[in-house]
Amino acid sequence: MENSLRLVPSKQPAKASISDTANSFGLHDTLIYGPRNLTDEIKSTNPLQARLENWDETQRNLKLTMHRNIYGLHAPVRQLMERKIVSYNPHMPAMPRSNIHLDILEGRDETLDVADLFSSEPYPTTDIHSEMERKLRM
Amino acid sequence: MSAFHSTKPGFDFSNANRNAFLEGKGVKMPKATSTGTTIVGCLFKDGIVLGADTRATAGEIVADKNCEKIHYISESIRCCGAGTAADTEFITALISSNIELHALSTGRKPRVVTAMTMLKQRLFQHQGHIGAALVLGGVDATGAHLFTVAPHGSTDKLPYVTMGSGSLAAMAVFESGWRPNLERAEALQLVVAAISAGIFNDLGSGSNVDACVITATETEMLRNYVMPNVRVEKERKYGFRRGTTAWTREKVRDLIVSEEIRPIAVIAGGEEMDTS
Repeated sequence: MENSLRLVPSKQPAKASISDTANSFGLHDTLIYGPRNLTDEIKSTNPLQARLENWDETQRNLKLTMHRNIYGLHAPVRQLMERKIVSYNPHMPAMPRSNIHLDILEGRDETLDVADLFSSEPYPTTDIHSEMERKLRM
Repeated sequence: MSAFHSTKPGFDFSNANRNAFLEGKGVKMPKATSTGTTIVGCLFKDGIVLGADTRATAGEIVADKNCEKIHYISESIRCCGAGTAADTEFITALISSNIELHALSTGRKPRVVTAMTMLKQRLFQHQGHIGAALVLGGVDATGAHLFTVAPHGSTDKLPYVTMGSGSLAAMAVFESGWRPNLERAEALQLVVAAISAGIFNDLGSGSNVDACVITATETEMLRNYVMPNVRVEKERKYGFRRGTTAWTREKVRDLIVSEEIRPIAVIAGGEEMDTS
């Protein structure tokens, strides 16, 4: 949690890292994820993309900061703890799963968004082993 | 990294890098097409009258001569849409669903400001990239309300509003003809006049006049209320007369297959099937 009252995401410098696509040697795995150019990803990012990606996080942070100012630090700590508890997913990482508990905590259990209408995953991943390795930090 | 793990559906930026590269190489990118519409709304004594033309354009081509631009939000809230047709359709459908869920959750009839806030927050979030200019009107527990929502998320609350490329022509009619506490028939007449001004003076608007009268008790959707541009019937018929083509042989096939069903006689004294 960041102590700011921002309503909309700030213009952050673009970031790109190979942490998601790295192989066991710590390098980008071209065979699995295809060729990639980090310079291009940093140079040409759409400002709208960053805004949409960070929108929910910024709004959530605003609420947590306001709760902190009104009720004291325990309120956001408690909320973040609850969120962490329900976010834990003991199931297979590759399987898509809804999380109604998290939806209730985030206040979107009674709303519809684009994510509810269109599937977020175009196809389920076939590489369950690497997903499992990533989950268990092997 | 989002390029490898698509986190959220919705706006897709996966081709942004490619397009920037191609543009740098001199490939001409498609330009934004200008859109045309006339949508209006005005207050009257008992509620709201909304109006819209029915022309849908794609560049300089008329794509649909009789489309619907007054969208359903809830029983007593409607929304006229101008701008990108797909965006107005989708955002009004999405807000309509959310309003219904909200109404079920609260157990009350939805308010117009609720719909307006949902619309403007979503539009503001997308910084005008959802090309929807809306006229939102309805009657709720707090009275009749009329709003315009611009594509960037700013809103106005006014007694008479217009939107779209024909908004100037329509506003001129409202400015000269609107006064407080109009009767229903007068307000409907005024809305028809305003939309007609858009239809006849703006190239992006045309065809028929749709109207919608919302009062506290009922909502009346007047689809194609006035049709000033009905296509006249062709003066001559261009079809061929019967018997124009000569024929030499005629053969009619009988496609009906007739079948005769004969029931099998029960053998006298035979063992009956055990059905117990």
